[in-house]
Amino acid sequence: MSAPRSALALALEGLRARRRRAVLSGLGIAVAAATLSVSVVIGYGLGTGFHRATAAAGLPDVIVRFDPQAAPRVAARIAALPDVARYALRLEVTNVGIGARGHQRGDAVAEVLDAPGTHQGYAVLSGHDLGDRGSDVLVEQGLASAWGLALGDPFYVDGLGPQRVVGFAEGPDDVGYPLGKPRFYLSRPAIDAQLGAQADPRVDLAEIWLRNPAYLSEVLVQARATSFGLHDIRFATRSGLRILIDQAAGIVIDLLVALSLIALMTAGVMLAVSARAEVQRRLGAIGVRRAVGATRAYLTVAHALEATLVALPAASLGVLLGGLATVAPAGRLETMLNEPAPRWALAGPLLLAWLAAVLIPSAGAAWPAWRAAGRPVARLLRGADVASSGAGATTRGGVPGSSPRLRGGLVALGARMVAARRARLAVTIATLGLSAAFVLLLLALASELSSLETDPGALGKRYALTAALPPSAAARVRRIPGVLAAAPRYEVQGADSFDLGETIDVIAYPGDHTTFEAPALVSGRRLRGGREAEVGAGLATALGLTEGSTLALALADGSELRLRVAGVVSSLDDDGRVAYIPASALLGPEPAAPSAIAVVLAPGADVSTVLAALTRLGAAPTPVSTAVGRGVPLVDVLRTILRAIAIVDGLVCLYALVQACALTVQERRPAVAVMRAGGGGVGAIVRLLAGAALAIVTPAAVIGVLLERGVLGPALSHLAESYATLPLGAGPAEILAVLAGLALVAAVAVVSVALDAAREPVIRGLAT
Amino acid sequence: MSVLEARSLVKTIGTGRALRTLLDGVSLSVGPGELVAVLGRSGSGKSTLLHLLGGLDHPDAGQISVAGEELTGRGRRRLPAIRMRHIGFVFQQFHLIDELTGAENVLLPTRLPGAPAGGARRAAELIERLGLEPVTAHRPHELSGGEQQRFALARALVNGPELILADEPTGSLDVENGDAVLGLLRDLPRRAVVIVTHEPDTAAIADRVLRLAGGQLLADGRGP
Ligand SMILES: Nc1ncnc2c1ncn2[C@@H]1O[C@H](COP(=O)(O)OP(=O)(O)OP(=O)(O)O)[C@@H](O)[C@H]1O
Ligand SMILES: [Mg+2]
Repeated sequence: MSAPRSALALALEGLRARRRRAVLSGLGIAVAAATLSVSVVIGYGLGTGFHRATAAAGLPDVIVRFDPQAAPRVAARIAALPDVARYALRLEVTNVGIGARGHQRGDAVAEVLDAPGTHQGYAVLSGHDLGDRGSDVLVEQGLASAWGLALGDPFYVDGLGPQRVVGFAEGPDDVGYPLGKPRFYLSRPAIDAQLGAQADPRVDLAEIWLRNPAYLSEVLVQARATSFGLHDIRFATRSGLRILIDQAAGIVIDLLVALSLIALMTAGVMLAVSARAEVQRRLGAIGVRRAVGATRAYLTVAHALEATLVALPAASLGVLLGGLATVAPAGRLETMLNEPAPRWALAGPLLLAWLAAVLIPSAGAAWPAWRAAGRPVARLLRGADVASSGAGATTRGGVPGSSPRLRGGLVALGARMVAARRARLAVTIATLGLSAAFVLLLLALASELSSLETDPGALGKRYALTAALPPSAAARVRRIPGVLAAAPRYEVQGADSFDLGETIDVIAYPGDHTTFEAPALVSGRRLRGGREAEVGAGLATALGLTEGSTLALALADGSELRLRVAGVVSSLDDDGRVAYIPASALLGPEPAAPSAIAVVLAPGADVSTVLAALTRLGAAPTPVSTAVGRGVPLVDVLRTILRAIAIVDGLVCLYALVQACALTVQERRPAVAVMRAGGGGVGAIVRLLAGAALAIVTPAAVIGVLLERGVLGPALSHLAESYATLPLGAGPAEILAVLAGLALVAAVAVVSVALDAAREPVIRGLAT
Repeated sequence: MSVLEARSLVKTIGTGRALRTLLDGVSLSVGPGELVAVLGRSGSGKSTLLHLLGGLDHPDAGQISVAGEELTGRGRRRLPAIRMRHIGFVFQQFHLIDELTGAENVLLPTRLPGAPAGGARRAAELIERLGLEPVTAHRPHELSGGEQQRFALARALVNGPELILADEPTGSLDVENGDAVLGLLRDLPRRAVVIVTHEPDTAAIADRVLRLAGGQLLADGRGP
């Protein structure tokens, strides 16, 4: 037989002899591969989603929004800009009533294209684009999926009557339905053809593509300078859009990438450790083969082959299952973000994941075999360092003559047995501790996501209601039972004095605004003096503000306020173009600034009684909606994904524990057999293994909790702080849940391995 | 009444062409206080017989009873309990547990679920009687072969079994230590002891010597 053929034969023989262990390793590899492929599908899909969308849709370099203007006037301004390759104009009509397939909404956004053509900043996913005639609409993919629309469906638009769906589109300049408002596209020439041409067609949005995007900032400066006469101008750049959209998914991507790395490491280490143990047990066989002339390379290849034969089907199964389980939710998430699914682009990364899941276990088996086969044959035949664990241990306790004792009985013995393999114990504890920490983090995140859904405070807004009452009514509102705090909240529109195009949402409270609104500080500190301001990150970026610089606010009546920037805060409102200032500063120049009473409720207060009391005071109270309020579906998808990860993570724990218990039983077969020969049944083995599992799970649980509360939780909170205040330290409920989960996993591992061990004939364990 | 009663045991191993009948109608009866040695060549089936007698393996035919309890036909759950109360094993390789001291190894069977009470007291007595007191706190690798085998013997006796089964108990020991262990087995009061060995010297201390050959157990002609 040729050397490779005989190495394969040897590998197959090894597998046949150790079927159960092969299945166990296979399960471990499958779990690791599934984790990897889950992370690849979601991480790669979301990580590259914006890029894909940009490429597919031909997203413009700059999007400019302004008050509705005559199209020729806007065209003339754009023509004056340098380096413009092309542009497209549209009118964005909001709060349009639409209906299709029995659904209807009154808050849709109609994008009326001034001149339909190929470059409009969206991608047509199916059907065809808009033309100059016909009563056609293009519907955003997210809306189409949610409503179950098909091509050719009638689509009712208020003011236009029944239209026909001719295509589905994705425009990455905004998030899709249901995260955002329902959106659809219309052609102005086609509407004109239907209803007769308008005398003065207006547009309020221009998409601009540059010849060389490197000149973006110069073009922006020029555009601001020539914008005179256009009001309320806002620029959005590609990178700006990307930041906004990434914020929605960024936290998940980071989490997934970290998790998959840890899962891979864990799986790799576990597999390597078990491969090493396997080689240790077979030192004798390796020695015999060496003695009869087998080369080191031959034995190494045979061991690697054996591992590969297990890893190939296991990795394929794991990658396939992990991929299948996550493609759908990842796709839904991508549609919500108006990003196309990666489809075949996933093949490459998935293939890499599959390769890693095959190669790591193979290498993990080859390396110890290579090292072992390199030892002197005589030492191998004596079993060499197999029994080295006991050597050097000091003799303890047991004064001669005193009555002997066996502290802790079988449970303690089991603990001592796993502790004898120090390196493996450390690895298993680390694996379990990390997994526990991750599950804790996921649970904390899941509960925080729920509060994001319902609790405005999570996004920096602490007031739950506003009441349309004069500032003088604040004291009366404060006396309503269930109201913790109430104060007038002034809100006016301002502009930057130097750059009148930048509008700023100015918010002012008398006294400490953090009682009512405490958007997270990105840098600097809270405002203190009467002439200070906190500015939103969006505004700081647009105007180049940092702490210490001066914010020059032009107010509506023409007066100007100069304030020192104390800090930069994160805010999702108005793309972060907000400034928090003291009411005293605002009321000087503008004593009649519009205001409402912001109301913070006491914990556990009954909202309806407070609402009723406010109504009795003559107010029309409005509950606060948040940026995430409409993100319920996103939160749902995120929660589905988190749950999937938690389950996979639980499987990793189960695998690590089963592996540790099974290895203990395997290695201590004679000990277990002697115990059984002396009358020990399944109960005795369960006790022994319970001790082993306790020795692993107890420190792992401590490490897990400390790690989550001390490192992972704060790290993730820090990551998220640019858009939300998420206290991610796990609470007692989550810790209890994880402890219960660990106990359950340990019980399953202990009982299954014990039943398995009790099924083996006792005499097989005695024959060493 | 005898402690061990085995009737017409048959045991075959392998399948098809490799099928071999190792034991072919073996009967054996051992009374209290009696020490029986089973001699046989290597591969004759001595260990196999001992495993059957101890309920570690099932015969293809025949019955075994120990201290009045029928072993054959028992479920897997009942057998461990019978082994615990009535049978003690001594192995050639001692099989002491590395993590435990000598004394702790002796105590291990007393901590199994369902073990009879008073184990700690019996363990102390056995350790004293076998002269192991100076080394109770030593771990197995710190003990001599003879000491290890004496601890293993104490472990086999600690739950007070009526039947001791010893498989080559002196095979890993030098002559002096071997004799000491045999002496201990010899002096166990009221207990039935079966020793299997391939060394005729070992059999010299037995009350009765039997020879296993060709699947049959026959009285040894040279016996005392
Ligand atoms: N589970 C088994 N499967 C197949 N053959 C077995 C099995 N157990 C024992 N044998 C074979 O049965 C025969 C008897 O084995 P056994 O261990 O009882 O012999 P023995 O008399 O104790 O020998 P030794 O003196 O060498 O210990 C041997 O040939 C052995 O190879
Ligand atoms: Mg034998």
